[in-house]
Amino acid sequence: MDRLALLRRMMLIRSFESALAKRRDHGFQLLSSGAEGVAVGLCDALRNEDQLLCSGRSIAPSLARGLDPGAVMAELLGRIAGPNRGKAGRGHMAQPAAGFFGAHAVVGGNLAIAAGVALALQQRRSTAISVCVFGDGACGSGALHETLNIAALWKLPLLLVCDNNQIAIATPREQALAAARLSDLAAPFGIAAVTVDGTDVISVRDSATGLIANIRAGQGPGFLECISERFFSHSTATRETRSAAEMEVVWSRCPILRLTGQLRAEGVLASGAMEELQHDTDRQVLHAIAFAEASPFPNSAEALSHVD
Amino acid sequence: MIYLLAVPGPIEDVEEVRVLEWHGEPGRSFHPGELVVELETHKALVEVRAAQPGVLRRIICAAGDWQAVGKPLALLSDNPGEDLVNPDGMLPLLPVSFEIS
Amino acid sequence: MLTESVSATVKLFFREAIARAVSESMRRDDRIILLGQDAGRFGGAYKEFSGLYGEFGPDRVRDTPVAEAAMVGLGVGAAAAGLRPLVSITYMDFLMLGLDPLVNYAAKARFKTGGQITTPIVVKTTAGARGQGVAHSQCIEAWMMAVPGLKVVAPSTPADACGLLKSALTDSGPVLFVDHKRLFSTAGEVPLAESFVPIGEALVRRTGTHVTITAHSYMTRIALTAAEHLAEEGVSCEIIDLRSLAPMDVETIAQSAGRTGALLTLEEGQLTCGIGAEIAFRIRELVGPIRMARVGALRAPVSSNPVLEAACVPSADRVIGAIRRLLNN
Repeated sequence: MDRLALLRRMMLIRSFESALAKRRDHGFQLLSSGAEGVAVGLCDALRNEDQLLCSGRSIAPSLARGLDPGAVMAELLGRIAGPNRGKAGRGHMAQPAAGFFGAHAVVGGNLAIAAGVALALQQRRSTAISVCVFGDGACGSGALHETLNIAALWKLPLLLVCDNNQIAIATPREQALAAARLSDLAAPFGIAAVTVDGTDVISVRDSATGLIANIRAGQGPGFLECISERFFSHSTATRETRSAAEMEVVWSRCPILRLTGQLRAEGVLASGAMEELQHDTDRQVLHAIAFAEASPFPNSAEALSHVD
Repeated sequence: MIYLLAVPGPIEDVEEVRVLEWHGEPGRSFHPGELVVELETHKALVEVRAAQPGVLRRIICAAGDWQAVGKPLALLSDNPGEDLVNPDGMLPLLPVSFEIS
Repeated sequence: MLTESVSATVKLFFREAIARAVSESMRRDDRIILLGQDAGRFGGAYKEFSGLYGEFGPDRVRDTPVAEAAMVGLGVGAAAAGLRPLVSITYMDFLMLGLDPLVNYAAKARFKTGGQITTPIVVKTTAGARGQGVAHSQCIEAWMMAVPGLKVVAPSTPADACGLLKSALTDSGPVLFVDHKRLFSTAGEVPLAESFVPIGEALVRRTGTHVTITAHSYMTRIALTAAEHLAEEGVSCEIIDLRSLAPMDVETIAQSAGRTGALLTLEEGQLTCGIGAEIAFRIRELVGPIRMARVGALRAPVSSNPVLEAACVPSADRVIGAIRRLLNN
């Protein structure tokens, strides 16, 4: 994608989340605002046949992967036009046929699953890879360390991407994790690991591309730490614990403003183009909402479908 | 004298074994310490060795057959030509040593 | 003796029946892979995978580190992505470390994705007491039966081990296959021809008229021993080997219990929220009020001390006593 397309995709996510958060009928949501650069940069480095897995913070990954915003909105609002017929919601949304193997809302729970997907790809001699996005909160879990070990031993085609927004619900990352950098966690296993600024979509994309080239070459897994920001509280149902002063710093690191600034400075973004982009993405979101609202909730009999 | 070679025991947890391999045909003489037959349990091999000289005369349980601990596997005799009378009668057990691996 | 439907059979050790099921299945379906600690060259804790590494090689028969969460997780992920993994968790106690991917992912994948993802994984594990102590002896089948979307099978004979494992390896899954430490010293006739035992069908191991006994896995043998002794007193026991715990063949139990008018449930695990509690209520719903009793482990950890272990888990004597009391009331 060119940089304008990357910008547009990040803006779509921001606009989508803003519209969603204003509603009262979404249960509760985990927003990605502030970390759009991670999902968008990463997905730009993937091929169609690759599979993306993520945590329950799934809106940016699913939209960045190219899922239809209307279908995603329908899933989040519990409508049958969602890819999972509204049964999964944000926490477990999936569309494997579109390269989005899906979210899994148990923190750290999708890491070994992603390694299993990588094992299946390796076993089939596929050139595709499996990619898992998870938060810094998952880095304390034993599942990560077990997975890193086996993935390294078996040279699995797996890219682990830590979207390090530096806070798990209300626990700052430095109070929860002893490692200096989270990419250091991969080092003992001999896994290629990089830390980048997750608010720089280009640097995320380029670092991911480099790691993925090694993975596709059969050199085993990679680990990418992206230091991002969480613009809002943990979820739409959780209170914010950071101070106003802290939030000023957080909001100053906006991936959209960062790219916009670069493009303006280079003269790539003409004056008025930003407003036009915003208008387009807002309209896209309105269409998504209309599509979702036109879809019914599942019939209550679906509580027993696809169980066994 | 005619001797009965029986499945040696006790072996922990084992009631039945399967004959894996006979080391010789009827007619073969064994010296003390020589491997006569290998048996298989659910988790181990049992090597059965003659503890006195003898001649293998008749195999009762061939390779692949199952037999319970203490039950007969074969008849042996001191000398090659002795009559194998009444093999179902009370015969002395051939002294053996066995090793489980 | 356990009764088997006999045609052309071969006598196999329990472990050989498992190895045979896996090798026949792996030959038929190259999506099947085996993951387990010491499952490769070593051939499994009970040699139940003996020969598989040699036949299928290190890509399909993989030794894993001691990492149950990742082992089950990798198996589940690989299943979701199109393979048919068989994951061996040495003892059922350690399955607790791997429950997250099995319960939170595999058992829910088909539901939560609206049928987009299925997880045809088989997790094989060994339950039961045999001198190994408090964290190597447990039978937690009842926990697993409570998980929607998860199937649980537990054979008592080599033939059923072979047939159920083969069915599990063709099932849409996930399936938990539970065997037992004390079954590995047993042997039995297994059909020569390739055969499958359907998941969800119990088997009447012994017919009788006075009392119905339900059991599974090693406890089926305890029930049969008890029934032989009781027969000498003129008590006729009908023994149902559950074989499949989820789904459970309640019809077969109800049919028998309705006829005998008395039900004794036997399990090696805990009685609280146990298999017996579940069976009793479902039979009460189907058959109405009949005499019922249950036998299970004492409410205590299972010690490695042989005296304490024997005191804790059910024996034929305890079953005999329970049936005498049940029928005399």
